[in-house]
Formats: sequence, structure tokens, C-alpha cells
Amino acid sequence: MATAARGGSSAGSLKRVNKKISTSRSTFRQLMNPGVLVAWIGLLAYGALIIWSASQSIADASFPRHLLGIGLGCALMLIVWRIDLRNLANLSTALLVIDLVLVFLPNVPGLSYNAMGMTGWIKFPLINLTFQPVELVKLVTIAFIASLGAQYNGRIDTVRDYIKLCFMLFIPFAAVIIQGDLGSGLVVFFSGAVVIMMSGARKEWVLSTIAIIVGLVSLLLATDSIIDSIFGDSHSLIKNYQMNRLLVFIDPSADSSDAGYNLQQSLIAVGSGGFFGKGLGNATQSTSGFLPEAHTDFVFAFICETFGFVGAIVLLALFALLMISTVRVAIKQDSLFLKLVAVGIVGMWMFQIFENVGMCIGLMPITGIPLPFISFGSSSMLIQCLAVGVVQSIWRHRTKAA
Amino acid sequence: MDAQLVVVVAGVILFVAIIGSLLFLRGYSGRFTYDTKNGTTPKASEGEGNTPGVAFKGRFTLLTVGIGAMFTALVAKLWSMQMVSSDYYENLAQTNQTRTVTTAAPRGRILDRNGVALVTNRASLAVTAYRDLASDTLLVRHLANVLGMPYVAVLRNIQDNTEGAQARHTIATDVRRSTVAYIQEHAGEFSGITIDERTERQYPYGTTACHVLGYTSTITQEQLQAQDENGDNAGTIQYQSGDVVGQAGVEARYEQLLQGIRGEQKVTVDAQGNVLGQAGSVPASPGSDIKLTLDLKIQQACENGLQHAIETARNSGYSHAGNGACLCLDCTNGEILGMASAPTFDPSVFVGGVSSDVWSELNSDDGGRPLLNRAIGGQYMSASTIKSLSALAGLEYGTYTSTQTTVCTGYWTGNGEAWGKHCWLHSGHGTMTLQSGIAHSCDPVFYDIGNAFYYDEQNPEGLQEMFRRWGLGSKTGVDLPSEGEGRVPDAAWKESYFQDWSDADRTWNPGDMTNIVIGQGDILVTPLQMATAYAGIAMGGVEYTPHVFLSAVARDGEGGDAYLYNNGEPRERLRAAIHSEDDLKLVKAGLHDVIYVAEPATAAHFNTLPVEVAGKSGTGEKTGEDEYAWFIAYAPADDPKYVVAAVLEQGGGGSSTALIAVRDVLGAIYGVDDTATGYDSGVR
Repeated sequence: MATAARGGSSAGSLKRVNKKISTSRSTFRQLMNPGVLVAWIGLLAYGALIIWSASQSIADASFPRHLLGIGLGCALMLIVWRIDLRNLANLSTALLVIDLVLVFLPNVPGLSYNAMGMTGWIKFPLINLTFQPVELVKLVTIAFIASLGAQYNGRIDTVRDYIKLCFMLFIPFAAVIIQGDLGSGLVVFFSGAVVIMMSGARKEWVLSTIAIIVGLVSLLLATDSIIDSIFGDSHSLIKNYQMNRLLVFIDPSADSSDAGYNLQQSLIAVGSGGFFGKGLGNATQSTSGFLPEAHTDFVFAFICETFGFVGAIVLLALFALLMISTVRVAIKQDSLFLKLVAVGIVGMWMFQIFENVGMCIGLMPITGIPLPFISFGSSSMLIQCLAVGVVQSIWRHRTKAA
Repeated sequence: MDAQLVVVVAGVILFVAIIGSLLFLRGYSGRFTYDTKNGTTPKASEGEGNTPGVAFKGRFTLLTVGIGAMFTALVAKLWSMQMVSSDYYENLAQTNQTRTVTTAAPRGRILDRNGVALVTNRASLAVTAYRDLASDTLLVRHLANVLGMPYVAVLRNIQDNTEGAQARHTIATDVRRSTVAYIQEHAGEFSGITIDERTERQYPYGTTACHVLGYTSTITQEQLQAQDENGDNAGTIQYQSGDVVGQAGVEARYEQLLQGIRGEQKVTVDAQGNVLGQAGSVPASPGSDIKLTLDLKIQQACENGLQHAIETARNSGYSHAGNGACLCLDCTNGEILGMASAPTFDPSVFVGGVSSDVWSELNSDDGGRPLLNRAIGGQYMSASTIKSLSALAGLEYGTYTSTQTTVCTGYWTGNGEAWGKHCWLHSGHGTMTLQSGIAHSCDPVFYDIGNAFYYDEQNPEGLQEMFRRWGLGSKTGVDLPSEGEGRVPDAAWKESYFQDWSDADRTWNPGDMTNIVIGQGDILVTPLQMATAYAGIAMGGVEYTPHVFLSAVARDGEGGDAYLYNNGEPRERLRAAIHSEDDLKLVKAGLHDVIYVAEPATAAHFNTLPVEVAGKSGTGEKTGEDEYAWFIAYAPADDPKYVVAAVLEQGGGGSSTALIAVRDVLGAIYGVDDTATGYDSGVR
């Protein structure tokens, strides 16, 4: 249907398009979206540079391990790139099952891996590799919601269908929250919500849903405060430290706990970078240990301190190129399912980037979400590269539809 | 709780608003839809046909706008932080990684008039830690082993808050270099423990001049509070917790000169507070050295003479002897050449903090209150040493003339039989003039003077006026803290002092007058006051303010004396009006006769000196205690230069014990040891 329809009503246009397609069918540009490719490679290089710099002063930041993550990620991307993913559209039940299995994988005895208070990790037996399944959950959920959303052919007609979709998104979201990972849960929620909106949900439904969610959260906070005041913090739904962490971004100096300290140090790191930054190796905040997690969650602050405003703009420009190119990929793809998957990936990046960067500069509450392609950590790296692979696959297979 | 209330209220309001908006939206839900709006306005854009993709076009536009909005928000915030406020954050980053460590400045030294150091500094290595180290039991035990101290002692020192809760607490001072090296080599095991290099007071001559020098100790909470209340005054030193300040004597009086200026060292640190490097420093500048008027030789003579006198008194059966004072001053300018007080204390016990046991011992009556400088703060009845002033009063106000005589029978009944009083010599002196009365210290002569003053219509208090004219009853103004004022009693004083007595009992009576005229009763003087009064007699009425400060010497420069006491000029304390030179001549002759005429035993001591001496003994009588021995002398009698005064609490007769101290000091000045061994136990 796609090829036939492409020409449109104008014969000239049809001719021009056909010619263009025929002459460049086999070229590289047809197989790989150049925008996504350039942005992706740029981000990997940028991340490698900053992690190399971090490895000079932070013992945990192992540059070879980061390179290994990049290597594995590239391999994964190339494999997925060659696979036509549209058949996943019919496997929504299977996707949901996989999703839930992945979420609860860390609870399986023998696989679960806990170290230094971290949960949500699994360790593959024999090969001693650790992995965070929740990263993969993000992509599987996007595919799952996209497979459901694609059934409505671009317009959800009844409220019942809409509510059903929302409920389906709620299942993996709630599962991730139960596992205690609020940050990843929000990523899952936001990317799924973007997919649902793009599936053709009516505007007023979406607005009402947002309103209801805000109301429910307010109600939850209010109830929590009441429980707090009556029974004390030990019985409350949200512990004080969690609340502090959520609210600290409003006034970082008011809270002397770790969250407040972390944010204050992050703000200092970003602000002291200035226009050109302090240069590689001169970032005193990050290299002297004032900035915690300078190679993982707060890596953006590290970049800002090292390369300044210029470096931050370059990074954000690369992210923007990646996302806009992916939106273009989604537009060019005719399969509604793949279109929605691409959009979901854009949603995922939107949320992760906005949350992570926003956290570093005091716009958003502090949550442990890695910055895609930059943060040290193989799980995130592999899954983000996999996401790029999916996008490139969607680009490569855009004309193969029946 | 307030914050929670706000959250609750806000939550409720939001919830109500949402319910309202839901109802509102429901009412309008049929009017327009997202999809039809876009679907009905197709745009002929390049490349795309009107496939289902067209329906998505608006949504993609929105998505792109969303992405754009997100990046705009991030860039805007980054711009404001990195471009607009970068200086502010740069500043914070700097503060983050620098700490200012103050280094104590060495105090100035204290020298005698010839430049001999009486107080110096020595380097000392101290092990210090913050108070929270106490929670690390293992580390504290390890440290105790390394320092060779009991675990409990180390723990107590860490928890001791006298240096201020937030300051680093001193665990041990004067730690051996090898121990310090061990701790520094194993810095990992001893994290939180700091080695401070300090200077501490050293006293090369031990207790010598301890009362003049005073002592230093860590600034007290009260002193810090007083400083806070006084506020910032330009030019004064701002102290901080842990500073060592002078607490007594010259150390306290000339604190401003002795205290140096703290140095500041900026260090760069990492997040754990480990020092990474040093970022510039202001070196500490030591305090000024101070030169005192004391002459070490005379000072030691005062102390040894006092000790000699005390031993003599004890050997003579005065078992309570032990406290006293001896001082020597230059009557031509008020410089104090030696000042001794017994018992003494060791100022070095205050270095590094004095234990409460030692402190209470130093302040106990049983220990003789060694911190009290009896030369300026000890207040005693003047005894017969005051008779020279009484004689001047009698002559000036006509209550006794130079030719008048009194027959001393040993018992004076000048105010009636009922009020008869003994002369100290119960057998009686026979016929006495004023001059021989002074020489023999004959009491009835002065009873007559006192009695005559009591009944004198015009000048019933002429005697007290004379005492005050020569500076009794008021501070001499010596540049040492805690000087006593003394007391010259009169009718008004007695009236107000004994408030709970009946009117009859507190009326001034002839007995009071005949008491104070011979320096007994309620009159109180300090040894320095009496020495100053005798300096005035020696100098024909001029008394110079006694002082111990000679000059301040810049430590680094060789520029000599930077700051002199009163610009190098003697400061005149008072100039006592002399009624007639003959009066003074008579008194001086009496004082000469005390030494050379009255008793051969006394004369034997002074005959060996190359100069002529004039002086007066005194023996104070205090109910329930042995006599208080006084002796004051000046020399040379014809051209006075030195005044030496000595007091022994419960030391017996003045000319038998206190005289020894005075003679020893004069002997040291003129280089002639006392060879006479006999003592007159009679003359008072």
C-alpha cells in the first residue's frame, strides 16, 4: 500500500519519487538514516571522551568496561538493524508476558544480584555478567503498547478502548513501581503515554487523564501527610527521605540531606563551568569527589563543568538531532506499529534526557535515570544502542510493506 | 508540619479543580475533536500523500514542538546558570575546595631590663582531633597505645570541650617526634587525627618572678563572650576559641603587645576534607618582646632574701611564717627592680591546660593562695612603718613639736587610766623626743600625737589626711592587674563599715586614733604602697608611679626599643606637700637612727654596706595570729636610689626577720653579703 500511495495524485510527483527511489534504493542512505547515525556516533564518542576523563579520577569509572559496552551495543544495533520488526505487532500478549517476566527477573533466586544497596540487577550464571532488566522493559513496553495502539488504525473511537489502553500501560508501570524503581517507572509511563497519544486518543481524554493523575498524586501526598502527622513517619506511604528527594529541587539549600547536598554540588559544577568550561581534567567539583556519581547519574554536570555552556549545547544538539531524525523515521514509516514504536522511543529519550539534564540543573527532582549513551553503565548503553538499532531497522524496512 | 499542611490544602484544592474540569470537559466533549480538526484541514506539503500518515501530521508537529520546548527549557536554564550566574557558582566551587586554617602566632618573649629572657617559647607538637572521633573506639584505643596514654585519658581529652565544642581538641601535647612520624606515616589508620605545631611558654628560671610575669592559658568561654559583647573594635585582637592569652601579671596586662597576629593558611581539599595542596598563606607574625624594669639579679635577691627571712622566722619559732612579699624599686623613677611574693607557683603548670586538682590547690587557703601577688595585692596593717608619716602629721598640724618630749613608762595613760595602753617595750623607753621616738619606735610618743589629733578642734582628721597625701588608701597605679587599694580608716568609714553595730560602738574614739597612728587597728596598706610612700620620703615628696614595663622590642627588626613606658619619662604619681624641710629632716634623721642608733644588732647588719641606709621596722599585731613583720629601707640615705620593702605574714618582729630580706637585697645591689648574725628581737 505504501509504495502505491506514495506518488499521490500528482503524476509528476509520482515520477519524481519513483526515480528517486529507484536510483538510491541500494545506497547506504536508504539503509541507515544518516541523521540518527551521525547523532548516535557523536553521542557515543562524546560519552567515551567524558568517561575516559572521569576514569582518570574516579575509581569506579572503568574506561575499558565503557568501551566494551559501546562495542556490545554496536553489535546489538547491527543485529537488530537487519531484522524486520513489524511481525511483533501480532505478539502483544507475548510482549506483555516478556515484559512482566523481565520486571520480576531480579526476584528469581540465583539470578538476583544485590551489591552496595542496589536492587533490580540480575547476574547471569557462569558468565558473571550483570544486567538491569528494567532497561529492556522500557523498550518491550513501548513495543507492547504500540502493538495495541496500532490496532485502532490511527483513531481510537470509544472511551472504552482508550481506558483499556491506559490500563494496559498501567500494568508494566505498576510492576516497575512495585519493584521500587520510580525513575524507570516514569520512563515507561511517559513513553507509553506518548504512544497512546499518537495512537489517536482524543485530546479531551488525554487532558482528563492528566488531570486525574495530578489529582490522584495530590490525594496521595495529602493522605501521606495526614498519616505522617497522626502515626509518624514509620507508617507513612512515602518516607520523609523520598519526599525530600522529590522536593529538594525547589530549594536545594534547604535540605541538608544527601539529596540536597548532591543537587547543590551538581548546580555548582554546572554553574562554575561557565562558557567554555574548565577543560578536561580541571573539573574540580567532579574530580575531587564533591559531585557524587559524576560518571553516572550526574554525568551531565560533569560535562557542563568540563566543557561549559558550549559543551552542553553540543550535547543537547546531538540529542535533538537524534530525536528529530527519529521523528522523521517515524513519519516515513508506513506501518503504524513501527511508527508508534519509533515515537515511543522518542518519548523515552525525551523523558530520560529532560529528567536527567533537568535534575542536574535543578529543574527536576532527583531520580536515578541515566543519560542515554553518555552515562557509565553497560545495561543502559546496550539498551539505548538497541533502541537505535530498532530505529534504524524501522528506517531500513520502511518500503517493504505489502 | 506547616509544609505538610500546605501540601494537604493544595492537594484538596487541586482535586476539586480536577473534578470540576472533568465535568466541564464532559459537557463540551462532542463539540470538537483533535482528529477531525486536523483531518479536515489537509495541507499539501511536499512528498506526503493523504494516507493515514496525514492524520498523524498534526500529532508529529505537536511531538516536534514538545521536543523543541524541552530543549528550549534546558538551554534557557543552562544559559542562566553558566552565562549569567557563573561567577556565583565559580565562587561556590572555590569555597567548596578551600579551607582556611589558622596558625597560632608565637607570643612575644618577656625579658628583664638587661635583656635576659624570663619567658620564652619552645616548639611543641600536639596531637589533636575533633570531638566526634570519640565514637571510633578502635581508633582511640590504637591511638592511646601509640601515645602511651591510658585509653580513658585519651577519650576524656577528645571529649573535653574546654577548647570549644567545634574546635579540634588537644589529645596530647609535647608528643615525641618519632611518635608523630609514626602517626603521619600511617595516616590512613589515623584519619581524623591532626598534628599541630605550637609554641608553648617556657620559663627558663622556673618560678622566678612568677607573680610579675603571670601565666597564660587557653581563652575561657567567659572571655570569648565578653569579647563578643564588646563587638568589633578596630585595633583590638579578635580571639577565637583555643587561643592562648595572658591570664595574670604582665602576660595579661600587656596581652595586646605580647599576642602576635594569627597566620592564615589556605588549603585545597577534596570532598572528604583531605588536604590536596596549599593555596597561599599569610604567615603568622609573632608578638612583640617586652623588656621589664626587673633586674634578674635584684629579683632573685628579693626572692632569696624573702625565703631567707621566712626560714629565719621559722627557726625562731614562728611556725606559721611562709607567706610574705619583698620588693625593690628605684625611687628616682618608679621602676620596680624586683618583686617577690611567697608562696610562689610554677607558671609552667598552666601550659597546655591546668588540671582542676592543681587549680583548686592554687586557690586554696591551705596552700597559701600562691597566685596572689602579695607585693601589690596583699593588704596588711602597716605597723610602725607608718610612724614616719604620723610624725610628719604631728609636726605639720602642731599636735607634737620637734622639741616636745614624752616620758615612756611602758604604760601610757594619756587618755585616762581606764584607756591605758602598753608601749611594745613594757619596761619603758624613758624620756623620748619625736626623733628618738621614731628611732626606738616608742609607742607613747605617737599615742600622744593620735590623742591630740582626736581632740584637735581644727584638724581631727589631719592624720588621715597626711596618710592619704602620701598615697595610702589609693592604688599606686602599678601596671599589674589585681592591685589592692588599702584603707585609711576615719570616722565616716567606721560609721558605714560596721552598719550592724550600735551607734555607740561605731563612733570614732580616741582608741581608734591611737591605733592607726602606730599603724595598727583597721588601717590597711599594700607593701607597694608603703614602698612608694618611703620613696616619696626619700625623694622629698615626689612619688613616681611604680611600673614593671620598660619597653617593647620589635621581634624582627634590630631597631631597639619601639615603645617605651610613658615615652621613657618617669610618671609622677603625686607630689606630697612638705610643710617644712625641717620636719622631713627630723623624720629622715629618725629613720637613720633606726638603723644605726637604736640597736647595735641592727647597725651591725648595715655597717658593712658601702652606703648609708635609712629605714623603719614594723610589727603588726593581729588577734589570734603571730606578728606581721615589716621592714622598709632606702639607700643611699643621702642620695636615695633604692627602696626595699619586705613583709612576712606571722613572721615575728620586723627588725629580726623582715630586716633580713631587706638587707639581702641591698647586699645584692651593693655586692656586700650580710655577715652579721645577731638579730635584735626587740625593736618593732
